[in-house]
Amino acid sequence: MSTDTMLTIKDFQDGLKKAKEGIKKKPGLMKSTPGFFDMLSTYVDRIANAKEDGRLVATHGTQQPLEIFEAMDVQGVFNEFWGGVGDMIRLESVPQALAVSASTGTPGEVCSFFRNMDGLMHAGKWPRTDMFLYASSVCDNVKAFHTLGRRYNIPSFGLERSYQPYTAHAMEHWKNEYKRLIAFLEEQTGKKMDYDRLKEVVALSYRLTELHLEIDKLVATVPCPLSPECYSGTLLAIRLLPGTQKAVDFMTELRDELKERVEKGIGVIENERFRVMWTSFTPFFDPTLQKFMQDKYGAVSVCDMLSHWRGDAKWMLDPDDPLGNLAYRTLLAPGNCQYSSAVDVATNLADKARRFKVDAAVFNNNWGCKTGAAYGTIVKDELMRLVKVPSLIVHCDVLDHTFISRAEIESQMDSFFEMIEASKTYEERRAVA
Amino acid sequence: MNAPLNTLNALNEMQRLTSPFPESVAVKEWKATGRYVIGWFNPYIPEEIIHAAGMLPFEVTGDNEPVQMHGAEAHIYTNSCSKIRTCWQMVLDGKYSFLDGYASSHMCDQDMRLFELMAYYKKLPYMRLTYAPRKRDEAGVQLYLKDLEVFRSTLSEFLICRIPDQHIGDSIKVYNRSRELMQQLYELRKRDRPPVTGAEALEVSKAAVRMPRERFNELMEQLLDEIKRTGREIKKARRLMVIGSDLHNSTLMAALESKDAVVVVDEMDIGIRRASGQVDTELPPMEALARYYLMGRPVDKHNWNSDPRLELIGMLADQYKVDGVVSELVRFCTYDGWDKFDVKKQMQERDIPILELDLEYGHPGGAQMRIRAEAFMEMLEARAG
Repeated sequence: MSTDTMLTIKDFQDGLKKAKEGIKKKPGLMKSTPGFFDMLSTYVDRIANAKEDGRLVATHGTQQPLEIFEAMDVQGVFNEFWGGVGDMIRLESVPQALAVSASTGTPGEVCSFFRNMDGLMHAGKWPRTDMFLYASSVCDNVKAFHTLGRRYNIPSFGLERSYQPYTAHAMEHWKNEYKRLIAFLEEQTGKKMDYDRLKEVVALSYRLTELHLEIDKLVATVPCPLSPECYSGTLLAIRLLPGTQKAVDFMTELRDELKERVEKGIGVIENERFRVMWTSFTPFFDPTLQKFMQDKYGAVSVCDMLSHWRGDAKWMLDPDDPLGNLAYRTLLAPGNCQYSSAVDVATNLADKARRFKVDAAVFNNNWGCKTGAAYGTIVKDELMRLVKVPSLIVHCDVLDHTFISRAEIESQMDSFFEMIEASKTYEERRAVA
Repeated sequence: MNAPLNTLNALNEMQRLTSPFPESVAVKEWKATGRYVIGWFNPYIPEEIIHAAGMLPFEVTGDNEPVQMHGAEAHIYTNSCSKIRTCWQMVLDGKYSFLDGYASSHMCDQDMRLFELMAYYKKLPYMRLTYAPRKRDEAGVQLYLKDLEVFRSTLSEFLICRIPDQHIGDSIKVYNRSRELMQQLYELRKRDRPPVTGAEALEVSKAAVRMPRERFNELMEQLLDEIKRTGREIKKARRLMVIGSDLHNSTLMAALESKDAVVVVDEMDIGIRRASGQVDTELPPMEALARYYLMGRPVDKHNWNSDPRLELIGMLADQYKVDGVVSELVRFCTYDGWDKFDVKKQMQERDIPILELDLEYGHPGGAQMRIRAEAFMEMLEARAG
């Protein structure tokens, strides 16, 4: 089986550098765009150089306390990033990796974030990994880390979180899980945790949250000032490099540029017709879809389920208790609501719909996602009930562009936006705006 | 040609009491006395707590007939487990309207979402979701124990009467007796000529969670006595083990046994795990339940570390002298999906042939399945040679 198009870490490095240079020459983009790609390049370079820098590498899933990794000089490789950004670099890599995964016996029905990792590992193209780290938030697929650990003799550690995370005993358990994680990391690295350093990292991470909340307020402005190229900037800053100056610098630059655009009344497009919320994830499988929607329908992406904090996210409860802060942070963290009840997800999304003045919602029903497959309808019904926002359901794969054709998506979107524009609710909302 | 098997009167009585499914004779008799029935969904809900409250615990499942989907897929998309969709369709069809409450645990994402759909669209007077820890360690026991205490408290509030430790202790004894009796039946299936077929054993296991447990225990004792008295034997040449997703479809099991083979053991939550171990009666009852349900039964697919599950499958294959393994996976089960590769590898290392069947839950053994099963039996016969 061919593995020619499957991405290596060198391909990631080269692709991101090339994209950064290309963007500098492209007119009309936000000034922060090169900074965004520079941040991604820094992340990938840190992984590539980890060994010579004396750092161990942990491949991990979502909802991890990366601040702990950072304070212990452990470099993370976020498996979902690898798939999503891989699609930005070379769209053909994922389908080939999925085919390799299938050849090992992994069913095609599990999540392709994990199947992509499975395929790349099998082909020897995944970054060198010293350990696997994962958590019961956000889905059952994290079992893959233990399975692959057994297969490749890589040690693993999983963090367990209760279904009702806000009870006192669940919070205490979660904080203790972080202590157990630190013990595991100390064993793997041979180093002791420096808690003073952890406090500094946590403080930087909190600064990132503050900037993120400021950015959200700016993005909520009509017209929306944020471009599709930079749309994922906040998500990736907090998911890849929390607790680092690099992420703070990028978010500061982005915040300043958005502020300037808002003050001058500059929107990402001249005629903003629809403000769109992605109620599961943005279309990683088709990196040009958001720009296409903007150009064809005047539909701008303003928010999504994965990228925003719960409430005002004041998670720094006690600067001298970094683990307590991090435990609380995780409960408020973007995307964490997906692990909660469907009604909680829907309530969160309704709150976002109000804050970001949303006209339309798109639910990407990821073929391999079992948390999503049974809450889409509740989200759809609650959004209509609470904020009168209609939803389009797109049956897709989170990474694999071959699962559904662009033509089919366009056809669904044509009807969807026509329907919205003809609706009384839309007319009323626009009249108020 | 095998001689017709003599009838097991106790099994017949179990089937009579649990028919029609799900609102059966047993359920109607129970409800006629004004008592509650609480549906439960997966094996991390200790039935003992419901039993101690004077309520009938009833496992929410499908059964031997496929359920026609006409509405469930509007709420649960087709890329999800068909067991969940089946149960949801049955709820939509009013088949479970006799339930007064529903308790489930977050053993998997899909269990969790089924609970939420019920809470949102078909709310029952009592509903509770707990968490089923993925790690088997002391921290997990403590987390689970606290969740179970909340479960007991909320159920007590529903009952308007505290469920005392003593009642839970009494219920533990009843359920321990069931496990002991079911384990005896498993032991008999180790014989060269087991006394029951896999399909019959599945019917027994289903009956346990669909009728008052004291009555079930009486019938189990009668069943074991009948087997002893009659010397009943299944004369089939090939011995099979079924592993994977929970099956509630005895017809499918019977289809596997339609050739010269008998299912002598399984690795299902509904099967051998239900019969395994004992709750420690020396410990405080709630702690004993937490320890048993989390640590006292064989590791299942939802545990992150499935190494012991793989060992269990291998050990059962040896103990029951199986000739072949049928790995049946209900499609879209994430856990089974990630274990599949290593299960197959382990069986290959043990030189035990394995038949992998990807199924839709509740569907009968269709032609395709039969053809594959027949080919598998032929291969087993050729090996035996």
